Amino acid sequence: MKRWSRSLGFAALAAAMAFSGAVTAKDLFVVDLVQEPASLDPHVQWNPDSYFVYRNIFDNMVTRDDEGKIVPQVATSWRQVDDSTVEFALRSDIKFHDGSALTAEDVVFSVKRITNPEFKSPQLGQFNSIVDAIATGPATVQLKTNGPYPVLLAQLVKLSIVPRAHVTQVGNDRFNQSPMGSGPYKFVSIQRGVKTTLARNDAYWGPKGVFTTVEFHAVPDPATRVANLRSGKADLIVTINPDLAAEIKADNRIKVLSVLSERVAYFHLNSLTGPTADLRVRQAIAHAIDKQGIIDGLMGGYDKPVATMMAPVHVGYVEGFKGYAYDPAKAKALLKEAGITPNTNFTLFTSPTFDQRIVQAIQQMLIEVGMKVSLTSSDFAGWLKRAQSSPAEFGEMTFSRWSCGCQDADGVLFPLFHSSSSWAKSRDAEMDKALEAGRSSLDLNVRLQHYKRVHEIAEATLPLVPLYQAAILYGARKELRWRPTPNESFFLNRMAWDG
Amino acid sequence: MSRFFLRRLLQSAVAIFGVVTLVFFIQRLAGDPTLLMLPDGATRDDIETLRHQLGFDRPLAVQYLDYLWDLLRLDLGQSLIQRIPVLDIMASRVPYTLYLASGGLVVALGVGVPVGIVMAVRRDTRLERFLAAFVLIGQSMPTFWSGILLILLFAVTLGVMPSSGVDGFRSIILPSIALGALTMATFARVTRTAVLEELGRDYVSTAQAKGLLFRRVIRRHILRNAATPIITISALEIANLLAGAVIVETVFAWPGLGQLAVQAIAARDFPIVQGIVLLGAFVSIALNLAADILYSAVDPRIRLEGKT
Amino acid sequence: MSDVAVPQAPPSPAISLRRELRAIWPFLLIFGAFALLALLAPLIAPYNPNSQNLLARLKPPGTTVRGIFYALGTDEVGRDLLSRLIHGARVSLVVALLSVMVSTVIGTTLGMIAGFYRGIVEVIIMRLVDIVLSIPAILLAIITIAVLGPGLQNVIIVLGFTRWPRYARVAYGQTLTVTGLTYMRASVFNGAGVLRLLLRHVLPNIAGAIIVVATLEFGLMVLFEAGLSFLGLGVQPPTPSWGSILSVGRNYLGTAWWIATFPGLCLFLLVLSVNLIGDHLRDRLDPRSSR
Repeated sequence: MKRWSRSLGFAALAAAMAFSGAVTAKDLFVVDLVQEPASLDPHVQWNPDSYFVYRNIFDNMVTRDDEGKIVPQVATSWRQVDDSTVEFALRSDIKFHDGSALTAEDVVFSVKRITNPEFKSPQLGQFNSIVDAIATGPATVQLKTNGPYPVLLAQLVKLSIVPRAHVTQVGNDRFNQSPMGSGPYKFVSIQRGVKTTLARNDAYWGPKGVFTTVEFHAVPDPATRVANLRSGKADLIVTINPDLAAEIKADNRIKVLSVLSERVAYFHLNSLTGPTADLRVRQAIAHAIDKQGIIDGLMGGYDKPVATMMAPVHVGYVEGFKGYAYDPAKAKALLKEAGITPNTNFTLFTSPTFDQRIVQAIQQMLIEVGMKVSLTSSDFAGWLKRAQSSPAEFGEMTFSRWSCGCQDADGVLFPLFHSSSSWAKSRDAEMDKALEAGRSSLDLNVRLQHYKRVHEIAEATLPLVPLYQAAILYGARKELRWRPTPNESFFLNRMAWDG
Repeated sequence: MSRFFLRRLLQSAVAIFGVVTLVFFIQRLAGDPTLLMLPDGATRDDIETLRHQLGFDRPLAVQYLDYLWDLLRLDLGQSLIQRIPVLDIMASRVPYTLYLASGGLVVALGVGVPVGIVMAVRRDTRLERFLAAFVLIGQSMPTFWSGILLILLFAVTLGVMPSSGVDGFRSIILPSIALGALTMATFARVTRTAVLEELGRDYVSTAQAKGLLFRRVIRRHILRNAATPIITISALEIANLLAGAVIVETVFAWPGLGQLAVQAIAARDFPIVQGIVLLGAFVSIALNLAADILYSAVDPRIRLEGKT
Repeated sequence: MSDVAVPQAPPSPAISLRRELRAIWPFLLIFGAFALLALLAPLIAPYNPNSQNLLARLKPPGTTVRGIFYALGTDEVGRDLLSRLIHGARVSLVVALLSVMVSTVIGTTLGMIAGFYRGIVEVIIMRLVDIVLSIPAILLAIITIAVLGPGLQNVIIVLGFTRWPRYARVAYGQTLTVTGLTYMRASVFNGAGVLRLLLRHVLPNIAGAIIVVATLEFGLMVLFEAGLSFLGLGVQPPTPSWGSILSVGRNYLGTAWWIATFPGLCLFLLVLSVNLIGDHLRDRLDPRSSR
């Protein structure tokens, strides 16, 4: 209870100190995030602004290289012992920031911590296929899964290893406020709402970062982030839209960095109730949307149209699907055939979190082929609720983008299409079977066969219209050399300065 | 007098209780933050598990009583998202809002009072009308507009001010201007009215007749007498400044309570929202009470309840 | 805000109506022009404010694309800015007008009742006023919109129901003054008598003060709607309002300055005019008010 008065005093002092002027170091690197990290305990939150920061404080079991391939990190190699057991060999030279060694015990502890329902981790659902973790030696761990689980490695990319001894000693609350890991950067301090500071870990076992100190600032307003970049206050800013990117391009001291991510934008339709339950109506909608027009006209050309919900960065992507061509005449004909009149009401529900230009552009395209589409908006929590509600409450259609953070079909297609998922607004027994088969085989080719079937059914029955693979845009100083990754990983030690 | 004071205190307590209850239920009408906390693709089981762990599947009445019980023990709870005590989070943000509100007050007084004096002295002239419009400029523009204009002009183009955040003394200047501009007009008007009333008094004409330097007359006597209503209004305008801070803080990335409130509401982080509203209500009611007392202390003839 | 009074300014020497109007006629004119625009929007606007043309995005004022002349340029999805501004006048003014009307009716009624009946009724109503007033206005609006959902209708409802206490305070204070500070027992009059008393005798006397508040609140409501739009909680696309166009336009100041500048100018002129008119009204009708 006394703690809060201490925080007050400290904050007042900090504010006074902040007012007395910041220290500008040449190897200080400033990143503007949208919001401050909610939590730096890697198991507590699912939140981009948080993991941009804590990914650098902690090491994960495995990681992805810049090409997107899964490569060793804490685990150096792995082998499938049997269908539901994988054995991992760990590096022996990793030290936490307090000098203690990272052992198999820490890995086991981390797995058990995040899969414990009482820990209340929102990430539980991504790891709960792991039913047990056993240290079979000081540097080997066996993970047991619930049946064959081909997505295990993809999910382990996100599992950060925390120090068992330290966490047990200081408790979860203290650890949350003062995290300690084994990564290339150490946690220094957090000034709530202002900035989070990291310092380079000079004893890091892997590639060391170039920057000595890194500050993450919370700047909610995108126009202000761009202003910060232009005035030199920030070196790298996240989450800008293509129109702001144009402003950045106009200034030759800064540049835009882009990557085609694993986010895929789609237009979800209700296949079970309402006017969209008629396949012809869904086909008409697919023909009415000019994907390339949206990409070129609104998105600055950064994104890429897709015919299925998968992009080349996903496991489960299958080539050869054409999708539905932009054909407003055909759309009108289909609507007429299905008996849609100018009085049939269609509701497009959305939320300000989505790019309203795209939502409005799609609405306009549908209006132009004769559909009476009205927009209704709510806050994001309201949108999430409606998107996962019953078909009757869902309405007819919505625009969204999907990312599982796993670059695997199972994390995308299963929740969107399988009848057991609250997201799915369609039902197809064969689709269900193919999805279940896809997630229970460890053989990549077998999986791809099943997912090919899923794509075929999806193209024929149109539970949703896949739109485009979203590009993620960053703004940076001209001299920054960095290749953003499709899974938005944000590793500071992969960034450097030119020359 | 003290019995009246006691009664007002009791009524204030009831008001605070009312505020807390109102906000508690309104927030929960919209649902809970479970869905917002989970990644895409969380299954129904995942959702229900988390919801149960966080206690949101309990009946509303139970949640409310639980909250009241904690409140009575002065426990504001933990942020749902950050898992840190609400008191800690708020305590670390309060100084910034105070700084900003003070800065805004300084700007509003620093411009409003002199302008008000000039307006009183040069009454019914074109200068007065121009000044009246000038101080109203701040109240006639949305702060997110004036804010970004200030940033573009001073930070990006001229480069003399930081574009956002907290970074040395200069960073409070632009946000203070944007915020202070909101209430400049009020101070100008109150000053003008107070000075005008003083100007009409006998001692002024006596002083003028005696040939005393008019400016000295103003400084010594008029301002001293006019100070009281200005101070009283300051107490009331602080509430307006705090409200205006919400948007100013968002535009300037100023890490105060206002910005925290907007984010917490969007994230449905109920404990933080409740904490901030509780604090806001407390401050607002306290300021009102203070203004009433100030005024009655100065002029006991004025009855406090029910006078225009 | 409490009911304290500030010293009364000695009244200006009596002046004729013509001189009164001479002081504020430009602002009345501006306001009238906007009101006219709002009223006749569908007839005056050159094009449909919602029709997009993705190939004509972000064009500067005066451009012609495919035969369509965009006098003030186009916005981020290629809609004509001038048409959107004209229709936006309608939305901004309607939101302000309706919410002010709602608050005025609720606030004045409750204030009068509290001031007339005194006793327990007075305590309940005035504590309710305290409660609503002690929550920072914008926070209450945001929280409520989070429940109701954004959009034109809900914005009007939320604004109307969060601002009434200000009117109630004034109505209450004025009613007390008008009915004298002596306690009037309500039991003396029957139902119809009270109503007639309030409407015929009390209301006309407090109308001046109420009108002043309403005028100043009008400008404030226009800005409030803009603020809600900035936070994504105001009128929803594609419905144009000056606040939402300005809010979006902020992101294009470097590349398409016209999107923000013109609605910003309109907002500024409208609210400034209303504020100056209200200022003037206050000097004439209710110079004692502390608002």
